[in-house]
Amino acid sequence: MQLDKILHVEDDESIRVIVEMALADLSGYTLVSCDGGKSALTQIDQFTPDLILLDAMMPGMDGLQTLIELRKKPHCQHIPVVFMTARIQQTEKQEYLNAGAVDVIEKPFDAMTLGDKLNTIYQAYLSSSDSDVTE
Amino acid sequence: MQAPDLPKNEPSRLNSLKQTGLLDTQPEPRFDRLTHLAQLCLGTEIVLVSLIDADRQWFKSKQGLDACETIRDISFCGYTILGEGIFEVPDALLDNRFADNPLVLNAPHIRFYAGVPLVSDGENIGTLCFIDSKPRQFTDKERQIATEMGKAIEQEIQDRLQEHAHEQLAAREQMYRSVLEGTRIGTWQWNVQTGETVLNERWADIMGFTLAELEPVSVDTWLNLLHPDDVADSEAQLEAHLSGKTPFYDIKCRMKHKQGHYVWVHDRGKVVANTADGKPLMMYGTHADITLQQLSEIALQKNRDELYKLTQQLPGVVYQYQSWPDGRSAFPYASSGIETIYGVTPEEVRSDATNAFAKIHPDDLELLVNSIERSIETLSLWELEYRVIADNGSSKWLSGSATPERMPDGSTLWHGYIQDITQTKEHYLKLEELNQQLKIAQQSLDLASEQAQIGYWQASLKHGTLWWSPMIYQIFGLNEQDFNPSVSLFKRALHPDDVVKVEQSEDQARITGIHNVIHRIIRPNGEVRWVHELGQLVSEDKNPDLIMIGSVQDITDRMKLQKIKDDFISTVSHELRTPLTSIGGALNLLQSGKIISLPEKAQKLMDIASSNCMQLSRLINDLLDIEKLAAGKMLFEMKPLNVPPLIQRALNDHQPYADLHNITLALQHAPQINDIRIYVDEHRLLQILTNFLSNAVKFSPQNGKVTLSASVIGNQIEIAVQDQGSGIPDDFKSRIFEKFSQADASSSKAKGGTGLGLALCKELTEAMHGKIGFDSSTEQGARFYVRFALTD
Repeated sequence: MQLDKILHVEDDESIRVIVEMALADLSGYTLVSCDGGKSALTQIDQFTPDLILLDAMMPGMDGLQTLIELRKKPHCQHIPVVFMTARIQQTEKQEYLNAGAVDVIEKPFDAMTLGDKLNTIYQAYLSSSDSDVTE
Repeated sequence: MQAPDLPKNEPSRLNSLKQTGLLDTQPEPRFDRLTHLAQLCLGTEIVLVSLIDADRQWFKSKQGLDACETIRDISFCGYTILGEGIFEVPDALLDNRFADNPLVLNAPHIRFYAGVPLVSDGENIGTLCFIDSKPRQFTDKERQIATEMGKAIEQEIQDRLQEHAHEQLAAREQMYRSVLEGTRIGTWQWNVQTGETVLNERWADIMGFTLAELEPVSVDTWLNLLHPDDVADSEAQLEAHLSGKTPFYDIKCRMKHKQGHYVWVHDRGKVVANTADGKPLMMYGTHADITLQQLSEIALQKNRDELYKLTQQLPGVVYQYQSWPDGRSAFPYASSGIETIYGVTPEEVRSDATNAFAKIHPDDLELLVNSIERSIETLSLWELEYRVIADNGSSKWLSGSATPERMPDGSTLWHGYIQDITQTKEHYLKLEELNQQLKIAQQSLDLASEQAQIGYWQASLKHGTLWWSPMIYQIFGLNEQDFNPSVSLFKRALHPDDVVKVEQSEDQARITGIHNVIHRIIRPNGEVRWVHELGQLVSEDKNPDLIMIGSVQDITDRMKLQKIKDDFISTVSHELRTPLTSIGGALNLLQSGKIISLPEKAQKLMDIASSNCMQLSRLINDLLDIEKLAAGKMLFEMKPLNVPPLIQRALNDHQPYADLHNITLALQHAPQINDIRIYVDEHRLLQILTNFLSNAVKFSPQNGKVTLSASVIGNQIEIAVQDQGSGIPDDFKSRIFEKFSQADASSSKAKGGTGLGLALCKELTEAMHGKIGFDSSTEQGARFYVRFALTD
C-alpha cells in the first residue's frame, strides 16, 4: 500500500509551509496541516490519515500529550506517528519511541527527501504490522 | 725489807706454773697428807706448798696457817725460787732482808724459814716451805728429809697432771664418739704396712651390712665394694697422699650396697703414723654417705646443663645483675647470649659490669642509670627499651626486664632477660612514622571531604559491617551520636524511585567490583538530596572479608546546575534548529527548481545561502556532539558491523557533494574485508567518515580524486580517506585534533569548516576504542584514517 494521506501537526508556520511544499507539491501526498495538538484532535475526526507527522515541542499540548489523546480515539489507535524534533538528545528520542512513535526525524531535515523518507518509514511500519498479524 | 728479785726466766716460769693447773684449786688430800707428814717429821709450826704467781704466793696446801695467800714482795719463797737448793733463814730478825718484814714483825712472827724449790717442766714454780716462830737451824738429816718431801710433792704434781690429761682425753674421745654418732659418719683404720683394717659399725651400716657380716675385715673388704669405674681414681688419690703430694686422701666414689645398688660415699683419710724409717704406717679416716647430696648435685648439674642448653637457644641474654651501694656492679651470671647483646663475654663482666655499660648508647645512658636506681629504691620490676652501640658502630635496640631482690650485704640482685628488638623497634618506629603520615593524610582527607562534601564508607559484604565517615551523617542529615551505620539505615534513606537503580549497581559491583550510581536520598526532615556513590571491592584474593570501600558525594547542587544546563542546551538546540529548518527547507525547495525556476544569478545566490545554512547546521550539530561527549551523555549503539556496505554508504552520501566540486570519489578494499566485522556504532562511524570525506573534497584540487579505502593491518581494520591536496603544514600537525584549530584561519571562510570536525572525530573514535591518525606530504596530499580491532 502506498502512502497517501498525511496529517502534519506543527506550531511553527514557516515549517508548516516548507513541509506542505515538500510533501504535497513535490511528493504529491494528500496533506492536512494543523497548528497544534488541539486542532489535530479535531481535524482527525474529519480526516483519517495514513500517517501522522507530529512536532514534539509545541506550546500548550506538546507532541507526547497529543499522541496520548489521539490514541484514545478508536480509529486512531493504529495510525503510525512520526515525531519531528529539534531536541536531538538520545534520551528524548528514546522517550518518543517508547511512547509509541514509529520513528523520529530530526530538524533540520532535508526538504527534498522528506517525502521519500516518510514513505520508507511507512512501508517499514506496514511490513512490521503484517508480521505482527502473521505472528 | 728487801723484796726478792724476779727470776731471769720469769715468763716461762709463770707459764709452767699455769700448765700445772694448780692455782686457785680446792685443797687436795694428796698434798695435805704430805705436808702434814712433813710437819710431824720436822716439828715446825707451819708447812706450806706455796706457788709463786706473778704478784702473789698462793698456798695449795697449808699446815698451821689460815691465810691462803700473801703478796709476793714480802714472801720468803720469792727468794727460794731464785736458787736450786734449800734456802734457809735461821733467824729473820738477824737478817737484813727480812728483819722488818711484816710477816716477821706480825703474825705469824716468822723467825725460822726453810724452803725447797718445787720444779715442774724444768721451772721453779713454787716451794715446800717450813716456818717456825723461834730461831732454828736444820740438821743435815732434816735438810735431806725436807728435800725428799719436796720431791714427793713434785711427783704428786706430775701425777696430778697426767691424771688430768687422761680425763681430758677420755672426755674428748667421748665427745668425738658423740659427734660421729650424731653425724652418722663411719670410721676406718688401716695399717698400710700389714693391711690390717678396722671398720666401725656405722661404716658397715652405710653399706647395708652389720660389722659381723663383713668379718673378716681387710683392705679387700673395701676394694671389693668399690665401683670398678672408681678404682683408678681411688688409687691415684691414695698414691698422691702417701707420697706427700696431698694433705689428705679424699675421694667421692660409688660403693656397692648389700642390696645390689650403689651408694655414693665420701672417704677422707690421713696418715697419722709412720714407721721408723719414714714409711706410712697407720691411716685413719672417715666414711660418709653422700648419696642424697651426690644425687642432688647430679640433678643440679643436669638442671644447669639444661638451663645452659635452653639459654643457648634464646635469642637474648638470661642474666643476673648485681649492684652494690658503693657503686660496684657485675653480672654474676650471664648466658652466652650476652656476646651478641653487649659484645662482651660472660667472664668479662662476671665481677665488673663496666665493659657492658661502655656499650650503652650515650643518649640512653642516663635513662638506663635512672631506671636502675628507681628499681633499687622501690624494688620494683626493671623494664626499659634502650640502645647499645655495636663494635661496628651500628646501634641496636634492646628490651630488658628484670626482677630485683635485696641481698643481705645491702646489694641488689636482678634476675632478668634482655633481647635484641632492633627489627621490631625499627618496624615500630616506621609504623609510628606511617601512622603520623596516615594521620596527616586522614586530616587532609577529612578536610577535603568536608570541602568537597564527600563522605566515605567501608563495608564488609561478608559480615555486613559498615563504617561511615562523619560527612556521610551530614549528607544524610543524621546526628552521628544517635545512629550506628547500617545497611537498613541507608536503605531507609533511599528515594523509593531509586531503590531498584541502587540494587542493580550493587549487583553489578559483585561481578565487576565497581559500584557507581547516582541516586536520591530523603533526609529525615523530608529534604531530597542527590548523591553520587562510588565504591570499589578490593580484590577477593587479598580481601577475605569482602571489604568494599567507597565514597558518597552530595551532588544536589551539581544536579541542579546540570538540569539547568540540559534545559539550556535543549532549548538552544530547539530554538536554533527550528528557524534553520525553515530556512534550509525553503532554500532546498527553491534550489531544486521544482517549485519555481530561478534566473542564473538568483540560483547562484541560492547556492551560497544553502551552503552557509548547511555549515551552520553542521556547526550546531558538532557543538552539541562535543558537549554530549564531554558530559558523558553520548550513547553509543555498539554492534558488529560489516565494513564494505558501511563505506559504500559513506561514499554514496558524499557523491553529490563531490560532484559539486568536480571531485572523483573512489572506493578500494581487499576481498577478505567482506568477511570481517568491527564493533562500532554505525551512525558515529559514518559521522567520522563524512568528516574525512568532506575535508578531503574541500582540500582537493579541481578534478582531483578522493579515495576511500579499507584494509586489514594485523588484527585491525584501517579505514582511510586519501586526497590529492597540498597536505598538512608541519606546524599544524601537532594541533590538528584540537578544537577550533584550522591550518589557515582564513580557510574556515574559504572552505566552510567549523574547526570542530577532527576534534569530534578523535573523541568519537576513542570512545569506540579505536585509534585515529593521519599521514601527510605536500606531494601526495593528506591521508586520514581510523583503526578498529577485528571482532571474532
